[in-house]
Amino acid sequence: MRVDRTVRAATAVVACAVGLTCLAGCASADEEPAREAARRFYDALQARQPERACALLVPEAAESLASGDRTCASTIAELDLPGGEVLDAEVWGDEARVRLARDTVFLHRLPTGWLVRGAGCAPRRDLPYDCEVST
Amino acid sequence: MRRFVRDNSLSLFFLVAFVLALIGQSFAGNAAVNEDRLAEGSAPLSWAEYVTSSDFAVDVAENWQSEYLQFLLFILATVWLVQRGSPESKKPGDEGTEDDAEQKVGRHAPPDGPDWAGAGGLRQGLYGRSLGLAMGAIFLLSWLAQSVAGTAAYNTERLTRLEDPVSWGQYALSADFWNRTLQNWQSEFLAVLSMVVLSIYLRQRGSPESKPVGAPHEATGVEG
Repeated sequence: MRVDRTVRAATAVVACAVGLTCLAGCASADEEPAREAARRFYDALQARQPERACALLVPEAAESLASGDRTCASTIAELDLPGGEVLDAEVWGDEARVRLARDTVFLHRLPTGWLVRGAGCAPRRDLPYDCEVST
Repeated sequence: MRRFVRDNSLSLFFLVAFVLALIGQSFAGNAAVNEDRLAEGSAPLSWAEYVTSSDFAVDVAENWQSEYLQFLLFILATVWLVQRGSPESKKPGDEGTEDDAEQKVGRHAPPDGPDWAGAGGLRQGLYGRSLGLAMGAIFLLSWLAQSVAGTAAYNTERLTRLEDPVSWGQYALSADFWNRTLQNWQSEFLAVLSMVVLSIYLRQRGSPESKPVGAPHEATGVEG
């Protein structure tokens, strides 16, 4: 009887610990919306619609491309962002990295959906990516 | 009902304290995370979103694993190691797992003792180590939960800094994981050390964790 009670209590605590593990492991389920947001961004650039591309950036990234009399759209139109086919995506929390054939894009999830916060990104050994568009 | 509460008041006190502290942690943690999120322009998390997030899970699990490790080591170390004068220790010379008569197992088991203490073989061996096994299992599962939740929280941070996410294995070898782990372990080990040593010289009248107030400092394994 006492053994049963001990086993039940231990099972409850173990179940909590397993629950925590499962909870944490279910963090990266929704990759497709992030892939789709990266695709839309590059579709806009390829369709020569820089205003639409700028609307798909997080506000800080769009602001970083505007200076003096230059708008985000005029700056991004001159950047030669390579893009290409989407290869893979990883989502952790509200952040995502989408790898394309010739670029790596970082995205951030807002209540309205995924927006690009880094594009034209080149990897650097042991350092953050060097991005032509960033916040 | 009153008798149940009186008979179990120690467990009930800590159960209520645990639940209140966990609820408090969830609200304070949610507020702290939302301060950061608002500062970076993100939408705040609801309480339900926060308590199911990796941030909350890693904060809970890293404390759980260290507490269970503390008790696991205390349970196992006190089988073989002694501290003269401490009520937490056996008397010098009594080190080890002791014989069947001292442990009241097998044919020495009293009629009202646990069934598995009177049984032989694997059941007795397992039951004779069940406390350590349970604490050890909870420790390992909590540590695993910390590593999995920590990977998610760490990768979210890395992506924010425009860095590649890491695998679970890479995170388990990372400075972040071991910093979180060891900062909890050191405080637990210090607390046990303090309890073992201070209880040689100091007393808490009426507490079974202390020697009786008048017991000599040299008295070992005597609980008040």
